[in-house]
Amino acid sequence: MAAEEQGDKIVEALNELSVHNFITLPKIGPFDFSISNTVVYMWVSAAIVLIFFLVVTRRLRKDPDRLQVIAESLMNFATGHITGQLGPKGKKYYYIALTLFAYIFTMNIVGLIPKPLFMRAVTPTANINVTFGLAFVVFCVTQFQGFKRHGFRGYVGSWLTPPGVPKAMAIPLNAIFFVVHLMGELFKPLSLAIRLFGNTIAGHLVILVMLGLVLKFSSYLIAVPPLAFVVAMNGFEIFVAFLQAYIFSLLSVIYIESAIYAGH
Amino acid sequence: MDANAAAKLAAGLGMGLATLGPGIGIGYMTGRATDAIARQPEAVGEIRTTMIIGVALAEALALYAFVIAIFLAIVVK
Repeated sequence: MAAEEQGDKIVEALNELSVHNFITLPKIGPFDFSISNTVVYMWVSAAIVLIFFLVVTRRLRKDPDRLQVIAESLMNFATGHITGQLGPKGKKYYYIALTLFAYIFTMNIVGLIPKPLFMRAVTPTANINVTFGLAFVVFCVTQFQGFKRHGFRGYVGSWLTPPGVPKAMAIPLNAIFFVVHLMGELFKPLSLAIRLFGNTIAGHLVILVMLGLVLKFSSYLIAVPPLAFVVAMNGFEIFVAFLQAYIFSLLSVIYIESAIYAGH
Repeated sequence: MDANAAAKLAAGLGMGLATLGPGIGIGYMTGRATDAIARQPEAVGEIRTTMIIGVALAEALALYAFVIAIFLAIVVK
């Protein structure tokens, strides 16, 4: 009985991750457009990114001040590392790489800043719906670019066997190649979504379970090692936020480039 | 054993087993990266970037199992 009550404190600590509706709107079919705290923090992150880049581009000058140095180094990072592998054709993908990187990094960081309880803070990327939406955008961009550049026959034709196979063997091999490639195309954006979601939620869960353990034991002496671990884990979470934003944008650019190249 | 108990057992067991593969992979990858840096110290930046990308991709495999484990432990009643 006492153990159950104390175990509930850990579950209560996990309530930090729950979604709380600020304005509940009625459902239209299967879609629920209510304004939850996840949506509000997505807007906040978008506003931060937008205002930052607007402010910097209004005051460009030849002798850069600190804000411009940050923005220029972000731009160089996106263009150098991420789109460097596309070669000279990669110029038009600077913007999607930079946008994805800046937006996902800001969303991850917004969840790590301590805020009072009434603001109902949550990390938007700790929600599988948000990451799935971003991965769906990448999926649409890859398929659209593939169909635009190669036409329908050319693009779907690149999913079949390479040329030079005798006719009799071609039909079952074509079917196998097509199915495998289709599953790969569907799985790659899904893996992007799950990677980002899993990294963010794992860090938050470890921190919250440790804090629940501190609440459960209710003793000052036993509380010191978990709290030190929680501080270190928060620092590690900042590194993971940067790394996962980089990996997401890098892999998106690689998938778009492979759809454009399409194996010929 | 009812479904709830079996789901929680599967969650714990599955997550534990899923960390074996990426653990071996990341350890091997980091060892080879250290060899490469020792062989050619001026390429440290590129080797480090490649290693970080490899670690994030290997880590994702453990995370697929983590998502399934969370689903089994919390959603299945």
